[in-house]
Amino acid sequence: MDIGTIDYWAIGKRSFLHSASPLYKIIFVISIIVSVVITNNFVVLISIYLTLLGLVVLTRLPFFKVVWISAYPAIFAMLFAVSSWHGDWIVPANIVLKALDAALATVILIVTTPYPSVFSLISPFLPRVIVEGLFLTYRSLFILLGLMGNLIRALKVRGGLSPGRYVKNVTNFASGIGLLIIRGLELSERLYGVMSIRGYSGRLAGEEIRKRFTQEDIVPVTVGLLILFISLGERFKRGLGQYSIYFFIASASFVFGAAFYVYLLYVLGGVYWKK
Amino acid sequence: MSHIHIPDGVLPLWLVLVGWIATATIISLCVRRVREIELARKLPLIGIVSALMIVGMSLEIVPIGYHINMTVIAGIILGPALGFLSAFMVDLILAMFGHGGITVVGLNTLILGSETVLGFYLFRVLLSVCGKSSFSTVLAAALGTIFTLIISTSLMIGVVYVSQVNPERALHIEKNSAGKILVFELHGEHGEYEIPADKKINITTFASIVLFLGMFGWILESAISGLVIRYISHVRPDLILPMEILRERT
Repeated sequence: MDIGTIDYWAIGKRSFLHSASPLYKIIFVISIIVSVVITNNFVVLISIYLTLLGLVVLTRLPFFKVVWISAYPAIFAMLFAVSSWHGDWIVPANIVLKALDAALATVILIVTTPYPSVFSLISPFLPRVIVEGLFLTYRSLFILLGLMGNLIRALKVRGGLSPGRYVKNVTNFASGIGLLIIRGLELSERLYGVMSIRGYSGRLAGEEIRKRFTQEDIVPVTVGLLILFISLGERFKRGLGQYSIYFFIASASFVFGAAFYVYLLYVLGGVYWKK
Repeated sequence: MSHIHIPDGVLPLWLVLVGWIATATIISLCVRRVREIELARKLPLIGIVSALMIVGMSLEIVPIGYHINMTVIAGIILGPALGFLSAFMVDLILAMFGHGGITVVGLNTLILGSETVLGFYLFRVLLSVCGKSSFSTVLAAALGTIFTLIISTSLMIGVVYVSQVNPERALHIEKNSAGKILVFELHGEHGEYEIPADKKINITTFASIVLFLGMFGWILESAISGLVIRYISHVRPDLILPMEILRERT
């Protein structure tokens, strides 16, 4: 998981999801997570995943990298899946799909929304110390990633990490982490000092988040609510489950349609659509 | 690796809610406690230690999600209250990267937070038992880490075990009211509130896999924790050692 790259995608790239308000993207994520929690229908779960894949395609971010990042929880879900094996594949498959659906939804949020914008929205529900801690953690993360890159390079150049010398490698690596903590702390204290000089008195100014509903918000809200209604209907209205195959067909068509649209966009450089 | 980041939709909703309520209660107690300390000076430390945990958890040692936690180091440096708050922040940020479920941030925080709290207290107790030399610091940190990870892994297995318990009995929920929305089976349209035996997670298989995989992680993490604490105790002992030991050493 490359946190630096995720941050770059969120800030440096542009797409219809990047333009959407973080508030409506959070509503989209909540809808997907609620759907994942309430539904136990394999076809619905796989259809949700396909719909989310379609959205990833439309963002035109590196597709396989985004999907790979979101696939990380599947490793943990596999453990639950293996433990739930009773000769029926559907239960383990549902567990893995639930993890994948929820993870892909949150990853879509985080690769299209700068982290501080997400903080700003959740900050009213959290104590001040946690809000400030989250901000400083985010800032420290990039200080640490920079230091870590330099440290590993220095260790390799000076023979601190050599193949076959496991004990020596662990000792050097651990000392490196100790050094990172102390160096990172010094840099963080300096950052804190600068903030204090600039008038920081224990309260960070939150980012202004657009709350008005605009046309950029239509896609995430519509997709999120549609999935939620389908999941609710499937879960609580008996007999609706048999129609979930139509959801599957629609979501599969959405992925192919999205891929075709992006392909045309690349091939024609957008000229066709501008015409 | 000592814990598994539980994914969304696997555990029953009643357990998820209990996790959130317990975490919120502990967080409010921690916030009340940290008001008494000089928080402004501690904030950069919380930031860097939390960031370190995130970096540690995002780096796979073996490509099956096997990573170090550094929660015990965090607990030793930050103390129990700030350590628990830091564990919550780390879980929240990681959940946003898809590493662990959003709905189970509460339960995951309880597991990770227990590591920071236990790590701190075990380190202090073992330090007083082992002596005050530099080697005792390493030993106390390594042993503290291994005991903490064993307990937190057991806690995680316990959470999964409890998820198999009938919540109707546990929470005294009326069968025809809230129970309907509080219980979701893993699969199927069962009108019953008991999870059928053939749909339950096999806790023995689950515990065997977790304990087998965890064992290697405990050893590796305890070695790293011991060595990191040794380095810090040489360079900045004021960050980790109690005042009485610092006075004796100087």
